[in-house]
Amino acid sequence: MGRYVIRRLLQFIPTVLGTLFLLHYLTSVGMQLTGNPVRALFGDRTPSPATVEAITRKLGLDDPCLKSPGNPCLELFWQRLGLAPRNGTFSGYLQGDFGTNLRFREVTDIVSTALPYTLKITLIAFLVEAIIGIIAGVLAGKRSGGFMDYVVKIGTVLVISVPVFVLGLLVQLFVSVKFGNWLRTQEWVPEVISRGLFGAAYKIDYPFASLVIPGVVLGLLGLAATARLTRTSVQENLRADFVRTARAKGLTGKRVIGVHTLRNSLIPVVTNLGLSVAVYLTGAIITEGIFNVPGVGNQIGKAIFQGESMVLIGITTMLVLAYLTITLLVDLLYAVLDPRIRYE
Amino acid sequence: MRGKSLKAAVATAAVALIAAGCTSTPDAETPTDVGGELRIYASEPASLFPPMADDNPSIVIIRQLYKGLVEYDAKGAPVNVIADSITSTDNKVWTIKLKSGFKFTNDEAVTADSFIDAWNFTAYGPNAATNSYFLSSIAGYDELQATDPDGDGPKTAPEPAAKTLSGLKKLDDTSFEVTLKKPFSGFPAQVGYSGFFPVAKACLADVKGCTEKPIGNGPYKIEGSWEHNVQVKLSRNDAYTASKGKADTLTFKIYDKQETGYADFKAGELDIFESVPSAEVKAAKQQYGERFFQKPSNTFTYVGMPLNDARFQNKQIRQALSLAIDRQAIIDAVFDGRFSAAQGVVSPNFLGYRDGACPNCKYDPAKAKQVLEAAGGWKGGKITLWANAGAGHEKWMQAVGDGWKKDLGIDYELNTTLQFPEYLAKGDAHQFTGPFRLGWGPDYPWFETYLAPLYYTKGSSNASGYTNPAFDAAVDEGNAAKTQEEGVKAYQKAEDIIVDDLPVIPMWFGMVSDVYSENVKTFVFNPISGVEYDKIVLNPAK
Repeated sequence: MGRYVIRRLLQFIPTVLGTLFLLHYLTSVGMQLTGNPVRALFGDRTPSPATVEAITRKLGLDDPCLKSPGNPCLELFWQRLGLAPRNGTFSGYLQGDFGTNLRFREVTDIVSTALPYTLKITLIAFLVEAIIGIIAGVLAGKRSGGFMDYVVKIGTVLVISVPVFVLGLLVQLFVSVKFGNWLRTQEWVPEVISRGLFGAAYKIDYPFASLVIPGVVLGLLGLAATARLTRTSVQENLRADFVRTARAKGLTGKRVIGVHTLRNSLIPVVTNLGLSVAVYLTGAIITEGIFNVPGVGNQIGKAIFQGESMVLIGITTMLVLAYLTITLLVDLLYAVLDPRIRYE
Repeated sequence: MRGKSLKAAVATAAVALIAAGCTSTPDAETPTDVGGELRIYASEPASLFPPMADDNPSIVIIRQLYKGLVEYDAKGAPVNVIADSITSTDNKVWTIKLKSGFKFTNDEAVTADSFIDAWNFTAYGPNAATNSYFLSSIAGYDELQATDPDGDGPKTAPEPAAKTLSGLKKLDDTSFEVTLKKPFSGFPAQVGYSGFFPVAKACLADVKGCTEKPIGNGPYKIEGSWEHNVQVKLSRNDAYTASKGKADTLTFKIYDKQETGYADFKAGELDIFESVPSAEVKAAKQQYGERFFQKPSNTFTYVGMPLNDARFQNKQIRQALSLAIDRQAIIDAVFDGRFSAAQGVVSPNFLGYRDGACPNCKYDPAKAKQVLEAAGGWKGGKITLWANAGAGHEKWMQAVGDGWKKDLGIDYELNTTLQFPEYLAKGDAHQFTGPFRLGWGPDYPWFETYLAPLYYTKGSSNASGYTNPAFDAAVDEGNAAKTQEEGVKAYQKAEDIIVDDLPVIPMWFGMVSDVYSENVKTFVFNPISGVEYDKIVLNPAK
């Protein structure tokens, strides 16, 4: 097990390096093709060349390779990694320097303030998906063709067919504004519910309550898939020999479903849940945007729009690391769920 | 969370106590005017440090945190605040005297040095301050810049020749002298821009700290620090000696998307919402009635003419093109009437604006045809219309082209492939191969800001490459004028030249569409600096 983990961790290195290079290359080509983003800061007002040059230099975007389309800017890549000197000093990712945005705010600072919001919203989404999804799946799978089975089947199709940006806006309009406005006229409703839980956007006064609705909207993304996977998996295992044996031994229905069937049905579900967390991080670009949650997704969206290459590289690298860690954890969980799987 | 709300309660109580203390002084406002929390829609500012902030979201907040030499009255004329007097005999050497008693929130006095040091910092090239450009009219500015001797080559730019502007001279603690490169009658109006605001010594020593937690000298001061992407909270600065803020606190709530902010306004979380989303304007007008506020703004949109292209060098051709654009129809059809059609090249809010200053800006297809024929007709083939990609300019540029096709029989094609940085660079290099969309916003309320940068020979933002000695002379005359009236007259002469020559085709000026909540008792709007948050009076809490 230990050796397996170490081997997997070592695999992180080429993956992260590859991602970094891809991101570096794509953002460099972006700049080579669309011009210096510093010029766009000034809009209609033409700045003096000296000013543009000074800002570009301060941002580390003055490498001439950024003006020749197609050039992979290898030297700049080594400099950004911190393996080659820039103006005589080594200062790059290895030294913990992720650069700044176009307004000289440090990327590490941007990420560390944005991350807690995204973690909270991801946690809420994960809980919604895992708890509601698995319960719905088990209820549906227990009696194939039963009432709950139909409810879950139809419900999940509905959720899957509505894209998240439509769902988010609908929820915001009907639940947060219309229903919320009615709630806010009712005196018996405490503010944490009327303004926090049913607010139209994230509120600093209610740091958890106002994230619940965005989290639920985000979690619905994966909820349908989890419910359906659990349902099929449970149905399949209910016909398995070991379940029949458990029943024959006279175990209670709860124990048969909860321990014997469910545990063995969870492998595909856990894989899906792990992938979902990764999807949340991208889905958050839209959901966080709609509900004004100042998290990582929101920052990526903005960085793409404004051509903030350093922010983009910093955040995406962090997401890649998160994704790698999650998949490793999922793989380790397999061994817990199925004793037949061993990592030597 | 409980701890937090308790703290908030204590803070509010403290503010209330201070406010109550204030009302007992003889020169204070009536007690009903003051108090309350004003919640304002905002976007994430680029910076809260005056030399680095040149975007609207930043300036709106900086205007509450800092106060400059002058502010603007309802007509856009400068009124002294920190300045006691700004005088000159030749419009070139200006003597500025300061009032005493103004302090930064760290108790540092606002002196001549607060201005001189700030302006030197902004102008010094290697500091890479975005507002540097605004100081370029002061003598000695060029010596503070350094360009790379071999462009992108291996050499790096040398140190600039000087560190301080030779045009700034301290006379004593409360007065200093500014020497400009050329006479400029609009200087007192210019210094009201936030790039000219004073900065504390402690701030220049720690720019980063001062960006996050500004040390201002204005009617409000920051509570805590700038919470990025969440909010900037200000409370009244009771040490401020000029007219004090009305509301106890101003909370600028930061939204990434206008639509979300508007949803939050509808949910009662905001008191003031600026720029209602276009799709909602009609509904907002009906729903909010008197609490919906609309007024022409100062942002100018034009279609520039590539004057280095022989096809566009005959001014009659340009006049015909302008006459064949039905501005109002485009505004109504494409923008739901959210712009005001241009009647000249200066904002309707500015001193010297004249209704109908531009006879060539009225839609007149018959006259357009006539003028085009007099010019010998169009022989240039297809016109390429340029706009930057992904910014929603396609529709109206297409409408412009369709008008030319219908009324003048000139075929056109759209080119909207370039991203903004590349598009702007192309404009800077005069490389457009056809008419191009650009805009302009004034830097200070002085007629000249709509003229010199755009049309003066080698003007800083003269993308059409226009040059006309008669126009330059008229602007110079206005800049050297002894009185405001004389200046305006000369500038109007310059405007007449532009609307006849049409180096750009004026399109329209923007429109402010604001809404405010029932908590707001009096809404105060200044045509130059926008909503004046410090002067807004709130209804007493129920």
